Amino acid sequence: MSRPHNAGSVIHDIGYQRYQGVRFGRRYSARSMYVHSLRTAYGFGRSARAKLLPCGIFALACIAALVLVVVSTQLPEPVLSYVGIVAIFSYGATAFVAVVAPELVSRDLRNSLLPLYFSRPPQRSDYALAKLAALATAVFALFAGPLLIMFVGLAFSGTSGLSGMLEQSGLLLAGIVTAVIHAIVLAAVALPLASLSGRRVFATGIIIAFFLIAAPVSGVLREIGPGALADLAGLLDTVSLLNGVDRWLFDEGLVRVGSYGPVYGLAAAVLAAAGTALLTLRYRKVKI
Amino acid sequence: MNLTITRITARALLGRKRALLLLPMPALLIGLTLLANGTGVPAADWGPIVLGEMGITVILPLTALIVGSSVLGLEIEDGTITHILAKPLPRREIVLSKLFVAWGVTTLAAAAPLAVAGAIAGGPGLALGLLGGATLGALAYSAVFLAFSLLSRRPVAIGLIYIMLWENLLVRFASGAKVLSVQRYTTATADTISPSELLNATLPGVVAAALAVAVIAAGTMLATMRLRSFALTGETS
Amino acid sequence: MTTTTVELTGVSHWYGNVVAVNDITLTVGAGVTGLLGPNGAGKTTVLHMMAGFLPPSQGEVRLGGHPSWRNPEIYRQLGLVTERESMPGFLTAWEFVLASAKLHRLADPRQAASRALDIVELGESQHRRISTYSKGMRQRARVAAALVHDPAVLLLDEPFNGMDPRQRLHMMDLLHQMSEEGRTILFSSHILEEVEQLSGTVQVIVAGRLAASGDYRHIRRLMTNRPHVFTIQSSDDRLLATVLMRQESVSGVELEPAGIQVRANDYGTFTRALAKVARDEHVRLIGLQPADESLERVFSYLVAT
Repeated sequence: MSRPHNAGSVIHDIGYQRYQGVRFGRRYSARSMYVHSLRTAYGFGRSARAKLLPCGIFALACIAALVLVVVSTQLPEPVLSYVGIVAIFSYGATAFVAVVAPELVSRDLRNSLLPLYFSRPPQRSDYALAKLAALATAVFALFAGPLLIMFVGLAFSGTSGLSGMLEQSGLLLAGIVTAVIHAIVLAAVALPLASLSGRRVFATGIIIAFFLIAAPVSGVLREIGPGALADLAGLLDTVSLLNGVDRWLFDEGLVRVGSYGPVYGLAAAVLAAAGTALLTLRYRKVKI
Repeated sequence: MNLTITRITARALLGRKRALLLLPMPALLIGLTLLANGTGVPAADWGPIVLGEMGITVILPLTALIVGSSVLGLEIEDGTITHILAKPLPRREIVLSKLFVAWGVTTLAAAAPLAVAGAIAGGPGLALGLLGGATLGALAYSAVFLAFSLLSRRPVAIGLIYIMLWENLLVRFASGAKVLSVQRYTTATADTISPSELLNATLPGVVAAALAVAVIAAGTMLATMRLRSFALTGETS
Repeated sequence: MTTTTVELTGVSHWYGNVVAVNDITLTVGAGVTGLLGPNGAGKTTVLHMMAGFLPPSQGEVRLGGHPSWRNPEIYRQLGLVTERESMPGFLTAWEFVLASAKLHRLADPRQAASRALDIVELGESQHRRISTYSKGMRQRARVAAALVHDPAVLLLDEPFNGMDPRQRLHMMDLLHQMSEEGRTILFSSHILEEVEQLSGTVQVIVAGRLAASGDYRHIRRLMTNRPHVFTIQSSDDRLLATVLMRQESVSGVELEPAGIQVRANDYGTFTRALAKVARDEHVRLIGLQPADESLERVFSYLVAT
């Protein structure tokens, strides 16, 4: 193993030198970051304490869904639709992103890990996008659990057999579309906010403040504003905005949008795009 | 209570730029009240949202969370807590000093602005009621979040989930939960001091005040007990 | 100053199922004692238990006869300098040390604070914010805060970490001086020369267990199953080498330009035999030095598996 050198000095070849094997590129490292971040989001591969909060929220959502299913099967009409359950759970999802987003980005900032990432094949935007995709997937999973429970409960308890199941599948598809939209927008709002601070405490605080304060502001404007302003007030608050999109797409949801549905759709798209752009920009500018 | 600890804690909290983060919330509350008041829409329409949903339900607990978990939680996180712990002080004294600072700052940053908003929306009576209720609420929240910072390594995350899922979601839908809700105590106390249609009280005032005192006592005692057996561990990760 | 001792009796500490400290019994008395061990041996865990910051999972930790755990009263006689250098950076050193004095409820906190700051020679920069300090200055400010109440016991976790050589010397002087006043001083280190320069008394911890206690030179002598190595200079090295080889107590001799190196099996027998042999053969002994009494040798012996 060792190659003799002059005067008894030696450089030991322990396998790092002259590596001849295959080197994976950017795409591989981006995918690795995505998978790793997704696991981090739910605390997999980490201590039980790290799993407690994210998995706890997931479990709560599933239990709530189970209760809703049981109640629904006793009633002639389901209490909530698939779209409705996503709309309701979006409030809980804001708590989820406020807890999880700092786990994904703040710890890397705090522990000065960025130089280690950026001195390797992945580019700065790869890092940002992989983290964003991981958070969006984690939020989607939070919606997917309850949706699945509801589907299984409703589809198999129904008496209408196969046609009932087909009908449920169609409705489930609407729920999934809603969940995807909500997950992307919530992640795109929370992650740039979290990346502002290296301390998880402050990152969490910034995200909660952003979500929690906007809701009553938009609520008041809805009360005091004249027609159009009241219809557009929901744009101020991310959760109301998402519910407005649900209203526009599926005519379900908790917010009144009047004839401004497309505005909500556009606003959601702009918000997701702006969040992504800001996050990428943040990591392009960050000093390492 | 220990004056040295109180003074240093207050300086750590207010003496830095970070303290400016406490300003936007009360500014928004008062600004929105002024705006709504200016439109001529009756206060009964917007009052419950501004004072209740925004002031009592969001700004008060959020301020208490930021402040309450900072007074002790930040020191535990960065390890400076050892400097105070390595002194021959009764642990109760440390907890009470920290609680006092958290209470004072939360009252200043959330309860006082809430009273100002109440004065604009409903006059001096409502202002007095809100000041009383929110001051009691501030103390109760501070005690709860102080206890959280000794029970968990992530007090802010736990506190956030408590505010969002317990205080804001469960209390609204499961009526039994109101017995253990600081937000309900605050509203009930305010409504008892000065009954108002803008407040939506669901508990008798005396019961609410008694329960609030119980929560404060429990939080303080729990925090003291935990601090007595405080074990230093390595870096959190 | 009366001596206050720190006693550990059958102390173990485990985190989950990892045993960090395993059945340690030791007493630390007046003077400077080095707590020695490789990184991760359990030194910090031991110090934290002594300082009442960790409960022993088993056994008893006493300071001046009183249990350390859940007993804030011990801090009247205990000064502690932890390894983590976190300090409230928004305070000046003066404010920081003064606050410590007040929290100890000293009769004259200002006088105590300025005395402590003088001891660590931080007088000039005491009114600057700690956040502007260098690593060594922070360390000294922390030592000042730990000394402000004139404690009988001083525990220091890796006190020389990050200090430059001059600061290191100053700190060593300081510890020497305080030990001469009869204080009990225990400091941990994984750097052997620090311990060697500062104290003869060591407590060696390896993998959570107490491997040796006492004067390291004596410890070395107790290790009889490993040859002692001496370097000898004499008027006739070659002759001395030949006659020494005949001795029972000698297992090997090497001729070197600087003298001869002798490996002896038994310390006592060899030193007596050497004098006799030299006299009989008319060889004048010029120098006799134990070649491997350095702490490093002792340590590598204890740590070797």
